[in-house]
Formats: sequence, structure tokens, C-alpha cells
Amino acid sequence: MTQLQTHVDPGSAQFQGNEAEHRRLADELRERLARAALGGGQRARQRHLERGKLLPRERVRLLCDPGAPFLELCPLAAEELYDGDAPSAGIVTGVGLVEGRHVLVIANDATVKGGTYYPETVAKHLRAQRAALENRLPCVYLVDSGGAFLPRQDEVFPSREHFGRIFFNQANMSAAGIPQIAAVLGSCTAGGAYVPAMSDETVIVANQGTIFLGGPPLVKAATGEIVSAEKLGGGELHATRSGVVDHLAEDDEDALRIVRSIVATLPQMPMPPWERIAAREPLVSGESLYGAIPPDSRTPYDPRELLARILDGSELHEFKATYGSTVVCGFGHIHGHPVGVIANHGILFSESALKAAHFVELCDQRGVPLLFLQNISGFMVGSEYEASGIAKDGAKMVAAVSTARVPKLTVIVGGSFGAGNYGMCGRAYDPRFLWMWPNARISVMGGEQAATVLSTVRVDQAAARGEQVPEAELEEMKAQLREQYERQGHPYYATARLWDDGVIDPLQTRRVLGLALGVCGKAPLAERVAPVFRM
Amino acid sequence: MFGSVLIANRGEIALRIARTLRRMEIESIAVFSDADAGAPHVLAADRAIHIGPTAAAHSYLDVEKIVQAAITSGAEAIHPGYGFLSERSDFAQACIDAGLTFIGPSPEAIALLGDKAAAKQAAIAAGVPVVPGLSFAGLSAAHGAERADSAERAGGAERELSDAQIGEWVAGQELPVLLKAAGGGGGRGMRVVHSLDELPDQLAAARREAQAAFGDARLIVERYIEHARHIEVQVIADAHGKVLHLGERECSLQRRHQKVIEEAPSPVVDAELRAKMGAAAVALAQSCGYTGAGTVELIAERDAPERFHFLEMNARLQVEHPVTEAVTGLDLVELQLRIAAGQPLQMTQDEVQLNGHAIEARIYAEDPGNGFLPSSGRVIAYREPYEAWAGGQATPSRGPLRIDSGVAAGGEVGTAYDPMLAKLIAHAPDRGGALRTLTRGLAETLVLGPTTNIAWLQALLTRPEVQAGALDTTLIERLGPELAPTPADENRLTAGLALVALVGQPCSEDPWDARDGWQLQGATPATMRLETAHGETVTAQAMPDGSGGWQAAGASVRLLGDALQVQREDGSAACVEVHRDGEAVWLFDRSSPNPIPVRYAPARALATRHAAGGSLQAPMPGVVLEVRTSAGAEISAGQLLIVLESMKMELSVASPRDGVVEHVHVATGERVSEGQPLLELRQEVDPADTGTTSSGDTERNPAQPTRRVGPPPKEEP
Repeated sequence: MTQLQTHVDPGSAQFQGNEAEHRRLADELRERLARAALGGGQRARQRHLERGKLLPRERVRLLCDPGAPFLELCPLAAEELYDGDAPSAGIVTGVGLVEGRHVLVIANDATVKGGTYYPETVAKHLRAQRAALENRLPCVYLVDSGGAFLPRQDEVFPSREHFGRIFFNQANMSAAGIPQIAAVLGSCTAGGAYVPAMSDETVIVANQGTIFLGGPPLVKAATGEIVSAEKLGGGELHATRSGVVDHLAEDDEDALRIVRSIVATLPQMPMPPWERIAAREPLVSGESLYGAIPPDSRTPYDPRELLARILDGSELHEFKATYGSTVVCGFGHIHGHPVGVIANHGILFSESALKAAHFVELCDQRGVPLLFLQNISGFMVGSEYEASGIAKDGAKMVAAVSTARVPKLTVIVGGSFGAGNYGMCGRAYDPRFLWMWPNARISVMGGEQAATVLSTVRVDQAAARGEQVPEAELEEMKAQLREQYERQGHPYYATARLWDDGVIDPLQTRRVLGLALGVCGKAPLAERVAPVFRM
Repeated sequence: MFGSVLIANRGEIALRIARTLRRMEIESIAVFSDADAGAPHVLAADRAIHIGPTAAAHSYLDVEKIVQAAITSGAEAIHPGYGFLSERSDFAQACIDAGLTFIGPSPEAIALLGDKAAAKQAAIAAGVPVVPGLSFAGLSAAHGAERADSAERAGGAERELSDAQIGEWVAGQELPVLLKAAGGGGGRGMRVVHSLDELPDQLAAARREAQAAFGDARLIVERYIEHARHIEVQVIADAHGKVLHLGERECSLQRRHQKVIEEAPSPVVDAELRAKMGAAAVALAQSCGYTGAGTVELIAERDAPERFHFLEMNARLQVEHPVTEAVTGLDLVELQLRIAAGQPLQMTQDEVQLNGHAIEARIYAEDPGNGFLPSSGRVIAYREPYEAWAGGQATPSRGPLRIDSGVAAGGEVGTAYDPMLAKLIAHAPDRGGALRTLTRGLAETLVLGPTTNIAWLQALLTRPEVQAGALDTTLIERLGPELAPTPADENRLTAGLALVALVGQPCSEDPWDARDGWQLQGATPATMRLETAHGETVTAQAMPDGSGGWQAAGASVRLLGDALQVQREDGSAACVEVHRDGEAVWLFDRSSPNPIPVRYAPARALATRHAAGGSLQAPMPGVVLEVRTSAGAEISAGQLLIVLESMKMELSVASPRDGVVEHVHVATGERVSEGQPLLELRQEVDPADTGTTSSGDTERNPAQPTRRVGPPPKEEP
């Protein structure tokens, strides 16, 4: 073990500049989170409260053990989409503690378009279910939703990863022994009716929750029958006659207490499949992270500065420190959980890729969770590197990461570009959780490179036709591309589209990882498998 | 002197007797029922013998079993304590027949004094003034003292009074009158009748209670002196004809005829009156051939105590004997033992000197905030005041503060026996000092688990009437709600503290075990719906302060070990004790002006509480005495449906609303547990009633003690 030291000068202008920028970005993040946490507009919230209902985050708070942490997932989903009409995509998801057990909570926000499902709502719901499946977390659905958002039915209904997948997941999780619990706290119409119906145990609030396949308007249209919502699918009916629910609650609070009581009947959670030791705070103060880490992904820095601030005791057992030095690999601990860290320190060369692949294999062999700290512009290019087979070395890294059975956590702390994103366990590689810092950027390549590549292609195409592209037109095209890449590579663009599990304040990194490792430890490790590595 | 003595009792008195036995180097033998296995009185004795099941009738009241226990254990004598068999002449006789010494008076004296009517005749014969009343020819005949004078008229040749006879006598009297059980004392079977209208009901209730308590439904009646002081004289008589009195005790502070505060001497008795009362008491004891310790109870008019009347004579050691011990320096149990062993009293009347002032407070397991309903359950924590253990209780008369108790942490306070847990006795040079010591002692006494009257006693002691010694037997009733503590207000203040205590400290450094309300967007408060011991629910909230502490209840709060350090905004600080009780916590702030332990548990789901739907539930464990309705009966709100007996009290369960009885679950004589459905009412579906209001107020059971001091029960809407 090496105790990492810091080499930054807190008095330097760079440090001050870094800190100011990180602070500005964190403030902006907090503002966005606070705004999203409000849910629908003031009037919608007021109406909701007047009905005697609790707001979704209050429901989650009362469901969970008092004072316990809540690891929310994708709080900024649908951020800036639909003219800001769908804060948090109208659904709250995350991992909380209920009666000492980790549970995945999915709570509709009826103040956002009646809790109906936008495309991002579906994606967020499915993302949360995947987290439950991968980590074997009991699911608690706090249902208050009108079902699919009808104007966008083509984006929420028909495909594999659309609305129907929710129920498919419920059935399969139930089959896998992952409890499915629902509390119907509002309407639960059409497809939504299957959430409670497909749950293992279900609660409904009397005179408030309703479950029906077709609501009163549809019933009237279909058969001419005129019936009230309560008569058609109220709590009394379902608790005493239909048997669709198992418990009748007086109000939201009561329903949440009943859910707690249900969770208390579940078996205790297993110990993590790795040894957790006593946690120690980093010796290098985490507070200095803002100043030590340059926010601009184009400014290179030693990732050990970051590791010194998030690893227990600032200690790292570094692997191959003197080989393939553009990637830093090593063993350490976060909140007592062992982790194998892979952090970028420049562009990936063949050696770095081989080293990383080797290290992934080591961690997988030893059952140590992997942590990827992404700050990568990509693999090295050029004839020399192609000739030496960088493609097959990169492939080894990607293959190792793809097939590792240990939980993988990814934090994009800077750039996440091109195949670097793949090798460093981007979203496509099923990390258990993936977060971005507010200063991070993500795209297939940098905006500047894309502009250069595309303008070169354009000039070449024109030249082939014997034409010339005016300089001004080229510049305009490049500027447009730069703008497009900057906009689409922005963390809020990314998080709005569920490319990650949320944007986090860099100072929260250690805590978030500690919580996430605790969650990952709830699932046993699978059998180790190996692909064919191209040698 | 005896080599070994069996103590035929339990609780504090058994412990108290064992202490003297130990000091006198006499082997002590305890007896215990199933419920008392491992109880403090069992541990305090040299040996202990199991005598049967919990029900007193088959253990502590079973003459044969007790006598057998004494024989098999080789005891030479039996001390009966008070209550149970202490005033049963058949028991005293059984002891004698078995060749054992009964530590107490002769069976004949017990029989005579135990019959109120006969005792009254004896008092008249001895020249002790009596209250006018109607009695009947009974055991007094055996004593040869039967006579009726102007004050005392026998109802006839029968050995009991009919309701009609009583009614006829009452009609000619100045009201109120008092109905009393002919067969026993202690407030059971005793009813004050203020109007002729209520006489029939009161007669029925008194007879029923008398039957239940003493197996004898016979009643006597007498004029009821409304503003009366209860003053009693302690007498001690040896087997050689010497009878002394040990001064008086004033026990005017009574609640429903149950003494709560007793003192010696009485603040209104001077030496002359003491001599006069003493002489009357001695004369009565002598006339009955009394031996051992006994008490002649007198009723004195509040503002003219020299006008006193005979009430009854108790042929046993009294609960409140320690105040006499404190001021006389005598050990009454020791005197009882010596007299029973045949030793003569060594001292003379002149040598009985009163020194200072002593006051006793009785701590009961009962809930002053809820009509003094007896309270039961496990004792979570029990702590006596510092001075009690520093003062050395082995010698009863030493130390400024003495505690005679029969409880211990972890023990169970059941409904089978008397709800008295402990007695606190303060002794000081003057009455003011004794009051101060007693008040402080109460504040330092902690009983968690069953609700107690400690705070209520403190409130009582600080009343100006009590401070001034302006006492009478109805003072407590008149003060009524003024003394009732208000835990509800307290609750709202302390709920936040309870939440902090319930959340507790992180059990590890795992970030999931932290209780700092962590979320991505910043810390969020901890919220929890809590339920008090009275079933009231409160929403508590506390905000983590980021450094392991909390902002709650307008203060910054930190849980350190089993104590909450509370720093209030006004600069004041407190240290609140936390005691864990399953999933609940008890909070106790000794420094609070109203130091009532409060219990909070996480609120339960309403659904479970309402599982019984329209059922009426037993407010506490007990036995069904009477079922006054049947399935199909139409009933109206407030109508009495079921009478329960619990901890020797009658509880009436009334209908909360108009309706129809669907089903009756219980039958007379059935034992019921708390919350057990008694009967089902047909639910009248009222849409306004089934709304989605957040219900902090669950339907409180309308049961109230039949004899109630507080305000009338709140009508349910």
C-alpha cells in the first residue's frame, strides 16, 4: 500500500480557479436538483396536498427509515425537455433503507402531468428496475399514475424497452425471488393497474387509490355504464371483493407504515460477497478536491490527486505503476469496501489497455468490485499504433470489462470520448451505477475533433468534384458542430436522457461510491466467465 | 424468639418484614405465586416456597397452602403482612391449629374487628364515639356487646340488612350517607350516596364489590361526614395486658377512600387531643383483648378535630406504619415479633416520644391522566432517590428518606395484585422539611413501564392546602383535574427528542448506517409518526446538523450513550434520560418542572388498529363481571354494556354510539386481555366518517372507572 500524497498548491491561482469553477458548477447542480425535487408546479402541488395526499418525496421519506440516506437515481431525468414540464420525469427512484433493508423505491409524481409516463419516465422506471434486478433489491412501487402519456404513445408503448417491460420485469424479478411490493396511493389506470396486480403484496389507500383497466370515461364509452371511480376500482372494492390488493390503508402515511411492516417480514439482506473492513477517512482532505482537480477535461492532471481524496486512508496498492502509465490501476478501499480502481492519466496506448485488461481480470478473479474514473479522450491513433495492433489491445480491455462478473461502478470525472468510453465501462457496459460530474463531457469524440474531421471530409468530397468550399462556410459548419457537440456532450443533456444515474457534486463522490458499493454487495457474484481474447 | 418466620405476603411489605427478620437474625421464608417467581421479595428472603398459580385465591389467599408451606419449611411463625390473609380469623386459627404462631391478634379479636357492625358495637361499649349508622346483629353478639343506643340502631334480628331496610334508614337521614361492606375495608365495597335516586345502583355496586373482595355482600350504612379528617391511632398490645398507643397518623389525603399521603403526627393534633384519642384507642384494644400492632381509625371533623368518631379498627400492620416508626424510632415489625413470641413490652406510655415529622407517599401503578386506571406491564427502569440508598434502609427509622418498595427493573406489574409499587417516607425535624424531602425524593424516583402517580403526588404535595395542613378526605376529589398532569403538551415538545433517541446512533461507519438524512440534494429531516403511551399520535421531525447532532424541538440535540444532551435556544440545557423498551423509548427529564416519563413508539399502521372494525375492546386486562347486553340488542350511546373487574376495580364499558349489538364475544367470568374485542357493534356507515382524514385520534375506548374523579368521559361523535 502506498499512501498517496497531494502535490497541488492550495495557494496557487490554478487551485483557486479550479475551486471557483467547481463551486459554480456545484451550485448550479444544487439549484437544478432543488427545482426538480419540487415536481410539478405550485398549483399542481397544492391540489395534490388538498386531496390529503403526500408529495412523492415526502412519501419516500416516510417510507424509509428516519434519517437514513437515500441514494436517488436519475433525479434530473427529462431535465430541460418538454419545456421543463416533466421535472425528474415525473417519477422518483432510488435506493433507500426500509426496516434496515435496502429497497429500490419507485414513486410516481402525480403533480407532473398526473404521473403519466413520458419516454424518460419509462426509461427511468426500467433503469430503476434494472438496478433492483442486478443488486437483488426488493422493489417498492408507490403508485400514483395515469399510465402512459398518450400524446407520445409511440415512444412509450410498443417497443422492447417500453411500458410493457415494467410488468415483464416485475414477473421475472418476482420469479427470481426479488419481492415486488406496491402501494396504490392514487390512480392506477390501464397499464398502470398491472403494477399492483403484478406485485407480490399490495396496499391501497381507501377512498383515494383506484385500480382499473379502464377508467369511468372509457367504461362509459365502451359499455355505457356510468360508475364512479371509487365504485369501479376503489380500495374498499379491491380489499374486500376483487382481491387485487391485500391491505387497506387509511391514508398515505398509513399505507407507508403497512409497506414498512411488509418489508419487515422479508429476510435480512445478505453480507457483501467481499470482505468489508473498518472504514477510514482519506488522509488528504476531500474538501480540497475542487481546487486539486481541473474542471476542464482538456487540462491534464494526475488521477492520484483524486484517488488520494476518495480512498480510505488515501491508500492505494498500485499495479504496474511503471508500465502503461496513462492508466492508473490499483487496489484500495472506499468506506471499507475493497475496490479495484482504474483511472485515466492521458490517452490509452496498447500498454495501458493491456495493463487495464490484466487488472480487470485480477479484480474479477479476486471478487473485488471495479471502479472506473473516466477522463479519457480515446485510444492513440496513427500508423505506428495501428500496426502494433492497438485495436486488438483495446478489444482485450473492452472484452475484459464487458465480461467481468464483479460489480462495476463508473464516474465520468472529465471527458468520456470515443472508444475510451467503452474501455472505461461506459453506460453500454452495464456498470451497476454510472455518475457524471458537472464538469464532464460525453460524446463520440470532442467537438473540435468532430469539426475538423467533418470539415476535412467536406473539403475532400468537394475536391473530388473539383470544387472548393468557401472558408466562411467551413468555419460556420465547424462552429455549428462545435456547438452541437458541446450541447449534446453536456452532463445535463446526458442525464436528461438517462445516459447516467445522475450528475453528482464531486465532493459527494466518496459517499455516493460508499453507498453504491453497499448496494452492489446485496447480490452474490456470478460464475466467472472468459471471452476469447484476441492475442 | 423464633428461629424462622414465614412471610405470607408479597411486594414491599414482604421485603420490609424480611429486613427486620434479617436484622434480628431470624430466618425469613418467602412464599410466591407463578407471577412472582424471581420477584424482589423472593430474592430478599433466606428461602422461598412456591405456593401456586398467579390468582391470589389459589396462592396468597389459600390458607391451606400457606400453612402447609410453613409446616414443610419448618417455620415457627407466620407474619401475614397487610391485605391477603392478614385479617382472616380462619387463617389465624388455622395457624394456631397447625401449631404455628400467628403474628397478630387472636382469631376472636380479628373476627370481632373485621365485622364493622360488631366493631362499632365494641367501640360504643369501650366509650369511643361513633358515627350514626345502621348496622345489624351479627358477630357482635358473640362479643356480648350488642346494644343499640341513639347513635347506633340495629336493623333487626337478621344478620344482614336488606336494601329496603337501608333505604328506609337513609330516607330519614341527612345525606350523604356511606355504604360500607360489612366484611372488609380498604375502600372496596364503599359508596357515597348523595341522593336517594342513586341509592339502588350504588347498593348493587357496593354489594357486588363487597362480594368480589370479601366474599360477603352484606352492607352497613352510616352518616357520611363530608369534611372529615382521617386520623388513626397506632396501638401496640402485648400478651400480658399492656396496651400502648404510638401516637396518631393523619391519612386525610385519600383518593376514592384509598390513602395516598400519610403523616405523623397530624398537623392538627396537640398533646392533649393525642392523649384523648390514644386513651380511646387503648380502651378499645383492651376491651377486645387485642394483642400485637393494631390501628384504630377515627374520623375527625376537619375544623374541629377534637370531635372524632370511631371508624374501624384494623387488626394488622398498616401500609403507613413507617411514618410512626420514623417519629417513634420503633420497629413495629420487631415489636410484633417480640409480642408474638410472648415477650412483654418493655417501655411505658411516657417513654413513647415523638420526634420530628414523617410523611409517606404511596406510588401506585395507575394513570392519573386517564381516570387513574391501573397500569400494568414490564418495569423498564426503576431507580430510587439517592438519599434512600445513601441513608441505609436496613434500619427503618434512619435517614431522611426511606423507600419501601417491591419492584425491580425487568419485573412485571400485573393486574392480579395491588397496584402499589413503593412507598416513600420522608422524616425531618418539622413538617415543612419532611414535605420538601418527600417532594425531592419523588422527583428522583424513576419508574418506567407502568404509568405511575409520581408526578401527580408531586403536584399534590405542592398544593397550598397540603402545605398548610388544611386537609380533609375529599380534598383530592375537589382538586380533581387541577392535579392531573398534562402529558399531552409535554408530548409535542418532546416528540422531536424521542425521534432522535429512536433514530439512535450509527451502528457502524457504513455510510448506510449513518442517520444524517443524506441525499444528493442535501440533508433532509427525519420524520416519524410516533405514538404515546396513551395512543395519541404525533408527527415528530428532526433535522440532522451534519455533525452527528440534530435540530429538534427547538433545540440542538445530541444523543450520547443513553442520554440526550439538549441545548435550547434560550440558552438552557438539559440532559434527558433515554430508556429503551423494545421498539419504543422512554424519555425522562429529571430537571423538568413536570418530570413525567414519556413513552414513544413508532406509530403502528392504523389498519391493524382498526382490524376489529366496530368492536369494543377491553381497555385493560381483567375479568368480565357482567354482560348487560346481548346480540341483536339496540343500544344507545353511553349505555353500559359490559362491566369488567381489573386490579380490584370495576370498569364499565359503554357504547360509543347508537347502534345494534352484532355479537358478544365474552361471557361473565371470562378473563380478557387488553385490547381484546368484547363485542361487535353493527357499523353504521356514515360517509362523512370514512373520509381520508389523517387520523391522529383513534377511537379511544369509552370505558371509565365506575367511580370517577375526573371530568365526564368525552362523548364520541
